[in-house]
Amino acid sequence: MNRSQHVVGSGLVFAVGILVTWISFTQQPAQAFLFPRLIATVFVVLAGWTFGKAVMGLSKVGNGVSAAMFLNMLPGLIVMVVYLFWGAGALGFYTATALAFFVLLSIYDPAPHDEPRTWVSRAVITAGFVAVMYGLFSELLNVYTPKEILF
Amino acid sequence: MKRLIAGAALALLGLTGPIQADEYPDRPIMMMVSYGAGGATDFQARIVTMTAANEDALGAPIAIINKPGAGGRVGWNWFATQADPDGYTLAVYNAPHFIAQAIKGGVSYDTDSFEPIANWGADPAVFVVGADSPFNSMADAMAYAKENPGKLTVSGAGLFVGHHIAALQIDKASGTKMAYIPTAGGGAAAMKAVIAGEVMAGINNLSDAYRAQQAGNVKILAVADLERHAFLPDVPTMREEGLDVDASSVNFRGVMVPKGTPPEVIDKLSETVTQMFASEEVAQKMSAGGAPIHVMNREEVARMWAERQQTLKELLAGL
Amino acid sequence: MEFIYYFGDVFTPLSFMLLLGGTIGGLILGATPGLSPTMAVALLIPFTFQLEAVQGLILLGAAYTSTVAGGAVSAILLKIPGAPANIATTLDGHAMAKKGQGARALQLSFLSSAVGGVLGVLLLIFLTPLLATWALAFGPSHLFWLAILGVTVIGTLDSASVVKGLLSGCIGLWLATIGFDDVMGAQRFIFHPSLGGGINIIAALIGLFAIPQVLTMFAKGRHDNGAEVIEVQRHSVFAAMRELTTRVRALSIGTTIGAVIGLIPGVGGQIAGLVAYDQTKKFSSEKEKFGTGHSEGVIAAEAANNAMVGPSLVPLLTLSIPGSPTAAVLLGGLLIHGIFPGSDLFDNHPDVAWTFINSMLIGQILMCVFGLYVAGLAARVAQVPQSVMAAIVLALSVFGAYSVQGSMGDVYIMACLGIGMYFLERFGFSAAPLVLGLILGPIAESNFVQGGMIADATVGRASYFLTGGLNMLLISVVLASIAYSAWMELRHRRYTTKEEAYA
Repeated sequence: MNRSQHVVGSGLVFAVGILVTWISFTQQPAQAFLFPRLIATVFVVLAGWTFGKAVMGLSKVGNGVSAAMFLNMLPGLIVMVVYLFWGAGALGFYTATALAFFVLLSIYDPAPHDEPRTWVSRAVITAGFVAVMYGLFSELLNVYTPKEILF
Repeated sequence: MKRLIAGAALALLGLTGPIQADEYPDRPIMMMVSYGAGGATDFQARIVTMTAANEDALGAPIAIINKPGAGGRVGWNWFATQADPDGYTLAVYNAPHFIAQAIKGGVSYDTDSFEPIANWGADPAVFVVGADSPFNSMADAMAYAKENPGKLTVSGAGLFVGHHIAALQIDKASGTKMAYIPTAGGGAAAMKAVIAGEVMAGINNLSDAYRAQQAGNVKILAVADLERHAFLPDVPTMREEGLDVDASSVNFRGVMVPKGTPPEVIDKLSETVTQMFASEEVAQKMSAGGAPIHVMNREEVARMWAERQQTLKELLAGL
Repeated sequence: MEFIYYFGDVFTPLSFMLLLGGTIGGLILGATPGLSPTMAVALLIPFTFQLEAVQGLILLGAAYTSTVAGGAVSAILLKIPGAPANIATTLDGHAMAKKGQGARALQLSFLSSAVGGVLGVLLLIFLTPLLATWALAFGPSHLFWLAILGVTVIGTLDSASVVKGLLSGCIGLWLATIGFDDVMGAQRFIFHPSLGGGINIIAALIGLFAIPQVLTMFAKGRHDNGAEVIEVQRHSVFAAMRELTTRVRALSIGTTIGAVIGLIPGVGGQIAGLVAYDQTKKFSSEKEKFGTGHSEGVIAAEAANNAMVGPSLVPLLTLSIPGSPTAAVLLGGLLIHGIFPGSDLFDNHPDVAWTFINSMLIGQILMCVFGLYVAGLAARVAQVPQSVMAAIVLALSVFGAYSVQGSMGDVYIMACLGIGMYFLERFGFSAAPLVLGLILGPIAESNFVQGGMIADATVGRASYFLTGGLNMLLISVVLASIAYSAWMELRHRRYTTKEEAYA
């Protein structure tokens, strides 16, 4: 389990290393790629070494990701990906933040789900946080964020 | 609750509907500067837009956003390909820079990708040497360059920016070849290289060189412009020094919008922004900061772009 | 001694209010994950339009001083450095917080920040002309060797495996080459339009440190009890002061390195903390404790990053050359009031110059006082439930990454790097060497290319990069650093194999 994870992890890094090396040695102008070539060579050698060690089962450092951890993380990761890659840009920062915040609290907050009181407190925390963010970024610091829905 | 939803729906409609020229602008405007915070362009952009929120100007604040990188290419690429042509996204142009980069290729913009609005400043390139340099005139420097071809090291802010163009013009006019050293850190790093003696000379912005000269760190040998500059009445032009260098390298700074911006918005912007730049308050702050001001309206800027396009094409053809 | 004459100006009601406001605001902004000192200062510039020159600078100076120190709060409690300067603080600071010593770590960090910071400003006051020549002494070849010195640190920094540490560093160095190259303008590795501007260091920093923390909190799942909340032991300020007096070596190495490296235009601030951390480790008698929550690590890193503040302004104030992005923003703050840094500043506007410098001196002390108060509140931060903390950090990451350049592209880059880094960390890679690679890559490359061009036109590459006193000195430090790491690695290896043999 752990060994195969290490193989996949370091294998991916090795694959990136090979891609980077291939690109640096084929792209022009050569002068601009001098430095990337140097780095890519060291990169691919080290990545190959790590990959080889992982295949032989010699990787000691790092514990990998257990199935339980991954399952715990998955809903949060999905919300995060949707929020970062789509929500923030398409819905506007404050709307998307409020939604993501509330959903994450609903998923991970240990308070029971069947009591209306806990839902109220989740909503209040979300509203308070978004209000603080709006005050800090929009009002105080004048940061211009995409505002698609509402604000 | 119902009223709230109706209000929200109305607000939504208001935001997504077409822009009415008489309502424009009804929210803050963003202006992209393709150089880092604190640089000459950024600093001036912040000064000239500080009155934007006044009722007699646009009535909406202009927020500056920096997208530095690769001599401005990163910011202008973003502006040409990704900015919305809705009048709420403006950008600062640096005139010979983006035109020269477009001619050299490898970028996704040229003069036709943008619509000029107004120009606020003109910063000529100057030839500077360290305070203890043996060169006291352009003639001294050119004599050295003639005796040692390719050995006179000259720093500048990057490739195909105003400084580089001035260097190319000096090369052409004098028939010599200097070693032009582009620095990664922009004009400030190029100036540091001159003061520290890492290079023998440098080409830099008049405004920055003026400050460095006031601090006693450099000598300014010549201005790459057609006339002497009010800040430096004692410094000769390149032509006076016998080098046929025109004003092509002068760094014009101003505001533009992406192609496709509604004409009503362009009209409104070009009228108010030109007035804004010409205001007393802006002029006073600019001259206090040692930043040369030069206001031009939309038509004048369009003409200037076309002229630069022509001369730069000829100059860069041989490279 | 001219500066003493202007001390009174700092204490006029409005100035002192601004100083106080700048310090507290700076601490809060600095402690917010995702806001860097440069951004905090840039965001404050519009406020200074309405103020007098002196008052505007007091506000900016106070904010600069305290944002750098405030970054330690999130670095220690959340393992999210507020700025590159605070990366080294996470290494031992967060380990201490995990052991329940968050309050102690924060107290030590603010006290050593104040000591380093005050000494740094005193250097600025008394030695400015001398320091100015030193700042100018570093040309392209020296900066190149300095970057290489930084690279030698990569392998041993916060990683159980040297090979994976080096590999992390290589990934960082490669990431740094993405985008338009600065000198030639060639396009490199632009797989997606968002990458055109390269990888912004602040966005990367947020992604690489904050997102893995968020995912780690998610991975713990939905707990029905609050047992996982880290407890924070109370720690007396006086005990922290006493401890500081026993850690003079870490404090002095940190301060010296911070002040010296902080001076160098274009390099200093970002790597001062890391180099100081590494050197302190090498000179320490308790090397093996570094990375496990050892107070020397926090002291050295924080002393260095605040000692850098004063000297980093020397090139700006004397030569009118901004040595860092933050200094560039301060230059704008001066120019807007018609004041030119350089001799003009000290000769014609001594009230502005000295009041500004004095306010930084007082700002350091105020920062320390408020910082110690904040340290007392650390327990409260640690009591925020994990679910809420994860959501807060995630949202701040998005706002922080976006507001650096107002670009959604940076948010995407932040997200990709962050999610990737979480999985890499699970396989023994680490974020600190990766970020160091990301910082050092452009410094090494641009100075190599630029130095090469100067060398080709003048004396030739070999003599340009390899001769001269400063070059020789830096090269020998590089070699010593490599030899030392190799020796330690060999010794360590023999040690572990023996251990394994027993097991």
